[in-house]
Amino acid sequence: MNQVPTAENVVEMLRDEGIAELAVDFPADGNLFDAGMDSMAVMQLIVVAEERFGAVIGPADAGRENLETPAALARLIASKVP
Amino acid sequence: MSRDVIVLGAGSAGLAAAVTAAREGAQVTLLERHGYAGGMGTASLVHTFCGLYRMGEGPPVMANPGFPAEMAGRMLASTGDGGPVKMGRVWVLRQHPVDFVRIADELLRESGIEVIYHAEAFKAGREGGLWAVDYACRGQIRRLEGKTVVDASGDAVLAGLLDGASYQAEPAKLQRPAYVFGVQGVIEGEQGLALAGRIVDGIRRGVLSQAALGLHFRASGRAGELFGTIDLSGAEEGDYDPLDGACLSRLEEVGRSVAGAAVDFLKGEAGGWGGAYISHWPVRAGVRESRRWQGRYRLTGDEVLGGVRHADDIALAAWPLEFRETNRGPKLRYPDGDRAAGIPLGCLQPVAPEGIFTAGRCISCDHDAQASVRVMGTCFATGQAAGLAAVLAARGEPVEGLPARLEARFGPLE
Ligand SMILES: Cc1cc2nc3c(=O)[nH]c(=O)nc-3n(C[C@H](O)[C@H](O)[C@H](O)COP(=O)(O)OP(=O)(O)OC[C@H]3O[C@@H](n4cnc5c(N)ncnc54)[C@H](O)[C@@H]3O)c2cc1C
Repeated sequence: MNQVPTAENVVEMLRDEGIAELAVDFPADGNLFDAGMDSMAVMQLIVVAEERFGAVIGPADAGRENLETPAALARLIASKVP
Repeated sequence: MSRDVIVLGAGSAGLAAAVTAAREGAQVTLLERHGYAGGMGTASLVHTFCGLYRMGEGPPVMANPGFPAEMAGRMLASTGDGGPVKMGRVWVLRQHPVDFVRIADELLRESGIEVIYHAEAFKAGREGGLWAVDYACRGQIRRLEGKTVVDASGDAVLAGLLDGASYQAEPAKLQRPAYVFGVQGVIEGEQGLALAGRIVDGIRRGVLSQAALGLHFRASGRAGELFGTIDLSGAEEGDYDPLDGACLSRLEEVGRSVAGAAVDFLKGEAGGWGGAYISHWPVRAGVRESRRWQGRYRLTGDEVLGGVRHADDIALAAWPLEFRETNRGPKLRYPDGDRAAGIPLGCLQPVAPEGIFTAGRCISCDHDAQASVRVMGTCFATGQAAGLAAVLAARGEPVEGLPARLEARFGPLE
């Protein structure tokens, strides 16, 4: 029943939850860290991804390459959806 | 014996006020309840100077002349850091609380200030044309008399004691408090995103409490040393009230218990953290916002965002509005065109009575403006201005001349 998110869903989630302040049309390959996401925001993000999608993101997955853009995040979450 | 100026509180603002007033030739007494100066920047282990540099693109340029620039220079010489660093869009200077204490000691010694530590002011009033401030030290009550007083207590303590006009944001809106502690023995330890992931993992497994979501670490600049900061909700039980002893006590307890559990957990699981230990607790949990004086002018957040200048500005607010209304990290609002707004003289002058000035995080401004002006770089600047204002008033000179006097002494703003 858990859905696999798109990059747009990820942007929406980050905006709704106040994790990063993004424009509605923030690009799928835009850099989230440049947009102000920091390590504390990443903690919220991991919690929210689990609540919304059931995706368990572990310490080993929490690298820049997996978290840097909405597209990368959507891929990461998809790979973790049970 | 009476003196010209009494400065209440030796935080960033009080230190700047006392040193500036003494250098003007005034007799100054500085009262401080701790055993050293620095306030939040030492006793609460806040370890970054913000608001020292102009906002916007380009290399770091000091925003306010005089004391802020001097502190930046002394801190760089003491820590040996290469210079300021960019944090997002703004320049900041890493500072170490231990260096801050030593620099403050030097400044206070050099400028011949009478400093009384271990002294908590608890009463104030007019007596024989002077201000009398009573303080308690070890079961004794002593009185200080002065022509003028600078309230640099952070919490507008003097407004509380004198029943002066003040304001405070509602509990739900107040900037959240935080608990900062020192950690040593981390050798090339896991950090940043991986560490963030590790902490969430601890919460998921029930080893750490939800409060650990507000925790992050930063290198102190000394080998193997980090500062951990836990942003707290302040409403762990009941409303957040930064002037209430029971509430403040809960912050201390929660801060230490979250910090202790987190370091134990990371010691066991995070790479490079095997030898980690908590090396210092703060004297007090960090309070960002509490009571403020109601002054002749009330600076607003809209003015800060508009980069508004006034005819009688005494300092510049070179920091975005940094909201911490939740414990989920900062929300920053930058001024138009990164222009620094001016802080006018009236923000340092309580509506009443005469002969009192304020500086630092309790100057007269609304909740939104305080989100900018509370940073230490700006506190140094408002402290410097309040120190000079207190000297002018003590000498019976018109305080309206302060902006021109500041400019003649330290150079123009911007
Ligand atoms: C967790 C946290 C993080 C922060 N991060 C940053 C940051 O990264 N960069 C930045 O620039 N700013 C930061 N700030 C803000 C900044 O640290 C404070 O706003 C600033 O230090 C306030 O300075 P102050 O001199 O006005 O007051 P304080 O530093 O609070 O000093 C007041 C002094 O008065 C003394 N005092 C009070 N009452 C009495 C009394 N009755 N008798 C005697 N002495 C008294 C106190 O002991 C204290 O020493 C942070 C604040 C917090 C809490």
